[in-house]
Amino acid sequence: MAAAAFAAVLRPEQRDIRLIESSEIGIVGVGEATLPHIRFFNRRIGLDEADLMAKTQATFKLGIEFVNWARVGDSYIHPFGAYGSKIAGVPFHNYWLRQQAEGVPTPIEDYSLPIVASRLNRFALPSEDPSSVMSTFGYAFQFDASLYARYLRGFAEQRGVQRTDAKIVDVKLRGEDGWVESVKLESGEVVSGDLFIDCSGFRGLLIEQALKTGYEEWTRWLPCDRAMAVPCENSGPLTPYTRATAREAGWQWRIPLQHRMGNGYVYGSNFISDDEAAAKLLSRLEGKPLADPRPVRFTAGRRRKTWNRNVVGIGLAGGFLEPLESTSIYLIQIAITTLLDYLTDRPAADGQRFDPRIVEAYNRWIEMEYDRVRDFLILHYHATERDDTPIWNYCRTMDVPDSLKHKMELFRRRARVVTYKDGLFLEPSWLAVYFGQRVMPSAWDPLADALDGAEVQRQLQAVREQVQSTVVRMPTHEEFLAKYCPAAPASSAGARK
Amino acid sequence: MTATVTRVVVVGGGAVAWLAAAGLRRAFRKRGVDVLVLDTGMPADAPVGRWTLPSQRGMHGLLGIVEADLVRRTGATFKLATEHVGWQGDGSHFLHAHGDIGADIGETPFYKYLVLQALNGRPESPENYSLAATAARIGRFARPVGDEKALTSSFTYGFHLDEAAYVAYLAAHAAQLGVRRVTAPLAEVLRLPTGEVESLRLANGELIAGELFLDCSGSDSLLMGQIGAVERDDWSAWLPCDRMISARAPLIADFPPFTRTVAADAGWAWRLPLARASAAGYVYSSAFTTDEAALRYLQSAVPGLEAPGRAVPLAAGRRRRFWEKNCVALGASAMQLEPLAGADLHFAQLGLGTLVELFPLDVTGAIEGAEYNRVMTDHADALRDFTIAHYRAGRARPGAFWTAARALPPPQRLADRLDLFQANARINLTDFETFEEVDWAWLLLGAGLIPAALELQIRQLVENVTAQQVAPLRAHIDGLAASMPRHSEYVQRSNA
Repeated sequence: MAAAAFAAVLRPEQRDIRLIESSEIGIVGVGEATLPHIRFFNRRIGLDEADLMAKTQATFKLGIEFVNWARVGDSYIHPFGAYGSKIAGVPFHNYWLRQQAEGVPTPIEDYSLPIVASRLNRFALPSEDPSSVMSTFGYAFQFDASLYARYLRGFAEQRGVQRTDAKIVDVKLRGEDGWVESVKLESGEVVSGDLFIDCSGFRGLLIEQALKTGYEEWTRWLPCDRAMAVPCENSGPLTPYTRATAREAGWQWRIPLQHRMGNGYVYGSNFISDDEAAAKLLSRLEGKPLADPRPVRFTAGRRRKTWNRNVVGIGLAGGFLEPLESTSIYLIQIAITTLLDYLTDRPAADGQRFDPRIVEAYNRWIEMEYDRVRDFLILHYHATERDDTPIWNYCRTMDVPDSLKHKMELFRRRARVVTYKDGLFLEPSWLAVYFGQRVMPSAWDPLADALDGAEVQRQLQAVREQVQSTVVRMPTHEEFLAKYCPAAPASSAGARK
Repeated sequence: MTATVTRVVVVGGGAVAWLAAAGLRRAFRKRGVDVLVLDTGMPADAPVGRWTLPSQRGMHGLLGIVEADLVRRTGATFKLATEHVGWQGDGSHFLHAHGDIGADIGETPFYKYLVLQALNGRPESPENYSLAATAARIGRFARPVGDEKALTSSFTYGFHLDEAAYVAYLAAHAAQLGVRRVTAPLAEVLRLPTGEVESLRLANGELIAGELFLDCSGSDSLLMGQIGAVERDDWSAWLPCDRMISARAPLIADFPPFTRTVAADAGWAWRLPLARASAAGYVYSSAFTTDEAALRYLQSAVPGLEAPGRAVPLAAGRRRRFWEKNCVALGASAMQLEPLAGADLHFAQLGLGTLVELFPLDVTGAIEGAEYNRVMTDHADALRDFTIAHYRAGRARPGAFWTAARALPPPQRLADRLDLFQANARINLTDFETFEEVDWAWLLLGAGLIPAALELQIRQLVENVTAQQVAPLRAHIDGLAASMPRHSEYVQRSNA
């Protein structure tokens, strides 16, 4: 992603990009689910969406279904879209709560177009007309990460990125200030550069192994430290959403692609063994497994500085947050686009290639992005009534960051969602998880009482009917895919090794 | 659950008190919320006139105030800009206008083009590309019209207010909304065993009970001082001015639609036009001048100045907690900040709006208070930063006072912002900010700050813009500005 973006956005005379990767070292992503922001990235670098989807076996995504999180048997969808819209300047959910209390219970899901469409396996592109209910949602993709990498590699190479298949055996630091001067390849070739982007994964070949940047761990709140992944055959209709099912020692993902299903078990190694996790995962697949489960280790947290000297750690080299809310690609994307935004048209005054004031501003921004995602993820683990297995009982009773504690208290008291200007997850996302995980407020915004009860009733009814009648006119997800971005048959695309 | 909030008691008698009382009454009248103002008179620190941000228009709309009526009855005038004179040394001056600078180039703000011009050795004033600034310079005014993309709607405006007339107007409006008023000195604050205020005993023996109390008594802080919420952040190291005098002055002939601030030896003076008079003041540091000398300076700068009231102290800083127990401090009772940015009433309005959104369900609004304090302390610090930035942007004015104002490094968040702008012309805003990117551009470019470099991506977009391309915009702006009526005539016609 980084090489493709730099090649697409910078002019040829402004760049000389080398990409060094070893085909002997696998990549971590398997089936990858994304967030609607990826569409900004695609547009910025000039990717054709339908072509990308066809070549990566992609499907559409309207949200994530969470199963068994607050209680075993629960299910809710975190949608890419709003619940209703403000009435008299007051957020919609306050009126919904008022109506519940007045004895007219309706599911909150009925007021969200992407949720209703998901439940019925339907999809259509949103409208640009803000007055249409079809403009109340966004969408993302679920694609094969290996195919995505291959696609972007082609895109980057076409634009002049020189790729070398090699392992890096040595890193040379500049004596006077410790900046990376060059890396040495197995072949003996020495590659020097002004800026090194470290996309080497958890180990952080440059940012950590060479520069010893340090890592801030968040395992006390996010206790999962392993994942086991395995694809399987599809069975049943392709859902326009990802599913995350809470399990005995973590949770299981299910990502439908056109040619197969991506599955994985994210778990805490203190709570289950690798063998047992693999066995549990295999026993719960919906179709025949297409490979052996592959384990991956990780530590939730973030590099202390993701830009250190002339090295920027992106992706897992920058930090790791489990894929529960499909934030991995988002955090990669934001790191790349922010870095591009902050590059200047001339060197800093003292001749240094990078002005330390810019590096600091970049690091503050990325930190803010990670921290905001972190709180939202912790909410999923903490807002549970489950005490049936040790991991859930731990998460239920753990002490959470003060910033999250405050958000939950305020919501419980009066249904107010703490919002912010930048960063991921706006009000509807928080609402989805609060309501979906039984964090129920004891009251609502008193301003929602100003409206007459019958009027509230009428307006809510109208939203519900409009959502329902719109969704039933949408094509099914599979019909839409077949027209928009049919992929090549599975056989060639399925080979990962 | 304990007692719900049905009685709100507002202590104070200035603009903030009446705005708050009217706002709460209007928002919660249907819930049966009763609002009573214990009128303790105009706060001692109230200036004789003030300039506001454009947000005051929205506030008036929410309260149901008809702007034309307000302007006619209070002798207010319109404000398109603030002019800052001498802040970068004698001869320097720039406008901070309430409007766009140029038109966006794609999604890129136009000021980046000006940065590139400056980097290429061709600095230009943003004023040339702003209808608001151009109109202000030639004394013209008209309200914005047209759809949002039109040049004729590329600006907005604030007000110049006669404080006493404005307060009387607000008080009458609040009364119409059903706000009750009691006038008597406060004798004693009576509290529940848990610390919340239960009632106020007046000097005449009367007892006023309530569930929510607002302290709008200015820097006297009649309530907050009584309930132990006394911890403050002191900003005086960055903002050395600690005194202010203000007085009415004669009508300015053909008065302009802007406020003027003038840098002086021990602070800065201001002058604003009103429809039937004008107002002037001096904000200064007692470490660099005396009250007598300050008065002499203002009298010499403003011929015909009426006798001012006493100099009032200004303790730059804010409370650590604005909402404590069941008391909320609004306005100068919450934060004292010199009026340079014209944001006093805006700050009160932010407090009121946040209070409406977090209106306590009952007398124990601890979590609401925590959220209110989180949001409002951030707002306050953002206003502080914008104010301090005036003292630090561009070339420093010579003199001991001006050197002292730059002696310490700025607060961290301001340092970060100025550093980034100086490095690559980028302005990153945080969650709660009154002033937008364009306001920062007005200030930083106006003060003559030239960044060391420009963002590479932005450069690619703006380097193809040619002088020929922007020339028609300038001509269009000049033509439109010249077609507007004179501000003084516009106001007189409104008042006819």
